[in-house]
Amino acid sequence: MLEIDRLCVNYGRVRALDEVSLEIGGEGVLHGVIGPNGAGKSTLLDAVSGRRRPTQGAIRYCGQDITGKSVAWRRHRGMARSFQRTSIFPDLTVDEQLRLVAWRLGDDRLDEIIQALDLTDYLREPAGRIAYGVQRRVDVALALIGRPQLLLMDEPGAGLSAEETLHLFQHVRALVAERRIAAVIVEHDVDAVFSCCDVVTVLDLGRRLATGNPAEIRADARVVEAYLGSAA
Amino acid sequence: MSGGAASPVAVRYSAVGAPLAALAATALFVVGAVAPIYAASEFTLRIGNQGLLLGMLALSVAFLMNQAGLVALGAASVYGGAGYLFAIGINNWDLSATQALLAAFVILVVYAAALGALIIRTNPLAFMMLTLAAGEMISHSVMLEGLRDYTSGADGLVVAFKGSILGLQAADFANPVHFWPLAWTATWISGLTIRAVRRSRLGAVLRAVRQNEERMRFSGFDTYAPRLMGFVLINAVAAVAGLLHVLNAGFVSPDSLGLSLSTNALVSALIGGVASAAGPIVGGLIFAFAQDEFGAYGVTQLLTGVAIVVFIVLFSKGVVGGLTSAARHLRRPSDPKGGAR
Repeated sequence: MLEIDRLCVNYGRVRALDEVSLEIGGEGVLHGVIGPNGAGKSTLLDAVSGRRRPTQGAIRYCGQDITGKSVAWRRHRGMARSFQRTSIFPDLTVDEQLRLVAWRLGDDRLDEIIQALDLTDYLREPAGRIAYGVQRRVDVALALIGRPQLLLMDEPGAGLSAEETLHLFQHVRALVAERRIAAVIVEHDVDAVFSCCDVVTVLDLGRRLATGNPAEIRADARVVEAYLGSAA
Repeated sequence: MSGGAASPVAVRYSAVGAPLAALAATALFVVGAVAPIYAASEFTLRIGNQGLLLGMLALSVAFLMNQAGLVALGAASVYGGAGYLFAIGINNWDLSATQALLAAFVILVVYAAALGALIIRTNPLAFMMLTLAAGEMISHSVMLEGLRDYTSGADGLVVAFKGSILGLQAADFANPVHFWPLAWTATWISGLTIRAVRRSRLGAVLRAVRQNEERMRFSGFDTYAPRLMGFVLINAVAAVAGLLHVLNAGFVSPDSLGLSLSTNALVSALIGGVASAAGPIVGGLIFAFAQDEFGAYGVTQLLTGVAIVVFIVLFSKGVVGGLTSAARHLRRPSDPKGGAR
């Protein structure tokens, strides 16, 4: 579904991503991206989602080169993302914002998302006034509207407890399987990634270190040395 | 427990409240259009007319502030520009009064669309400075020697049109008693239009873009076109107010283009409150009468300064916003479920 071909992203003179090539996709596949701070995880998501233009390389989505396409263009063709820092509309009620986005994307099955993410009790609340954990779920709900084919999630567990993170991951796991979509999750919580993801990619210093299933990654000597250490 | 279905109390309130509110608004419109003609002096009506037109200008400024988080400082350039274009249409282009009105309106809408296309992408501070710059350029261009044949420089232009517009002669527009119902009706139409847009999908999109533009783009929205539409809309309202002003005054001068008038519109919006359509109009009326009261002592600028401080620091919701909040607060204790939200 998504082919990343020798992708480079520079911040001034600093190379945040260095010739990263990766294939992502498959119905119901949850792809985790882990790595130490500064590894280039969020930069990879920014480049794929169109938030940041790559310095070099290409991104192909469903066979089409989308490297120069706008964020809105990608969204209308089934690529959605959530953010590390919750990105919602604080003064709109949960209902108003979900309905506004559903109208734009022509999604008439909003109720399924509301139920799947347990948001029914919060619909009439301004989103800025609800608990942070619920705001994260609103953020994910906004990304799920329009039945995207590829869901990109940047640290969905940021600011949540380990238990809340696992709960959110399980929600996502179920949605990905049920809707037969692909999802990429960039996450610090290695345990959550290993327990829920089908494929894991490890980045380090802007380069791809390894890609494989969780068992292969846990056993990879380079990954253990560079990142997991005793955690494996 | 939060959210959930609307309480029976809230449902009953809205079912009865909406027709009652519509009835009250209709009564207010009719009484407001007629009563001052009999109850107020010509002088008071003259100030009232100025207040309504200032209120329309404030309405346009407040809409963009509230919906898009943008402060336009060049509102007067469109307001005064409408007057100049109308006068030039009649004096230099030999247009009839109706043709001159339409020509002025269309030119200003096209101008607003072109200016908006250039500046609407910028951040709020840059937007404010660019609207100020555009307004000042227009304000000073009417003083250019090369344009004196059209604008008469600092002397301003007398506008004497022949024939009628909507059945009204020039003398009717100049008569404050005849002009009041027209200005009152135009103000209501502008207010209701702005209110409808606020409650429309365009209004919701503008508010959402103001709150989180990036999320809007990641939700598949074009964030440029809605803001441009909002900018053109407010300039259309300002142009209508400016056309009414020149019809009423029969004269247009560089004063009607300047920063001072733009500031007065902004202050009027703050006084009335930017969160409703009624607020800026009430603010315009308060400002016009206060200016008349205190202007005689030469303290208008002082009054403006004090009003800015008071209404930004102490009463940030403005008069109408504050009264609405107080009314809600008073109603709440009698409603065991917390009232309709």
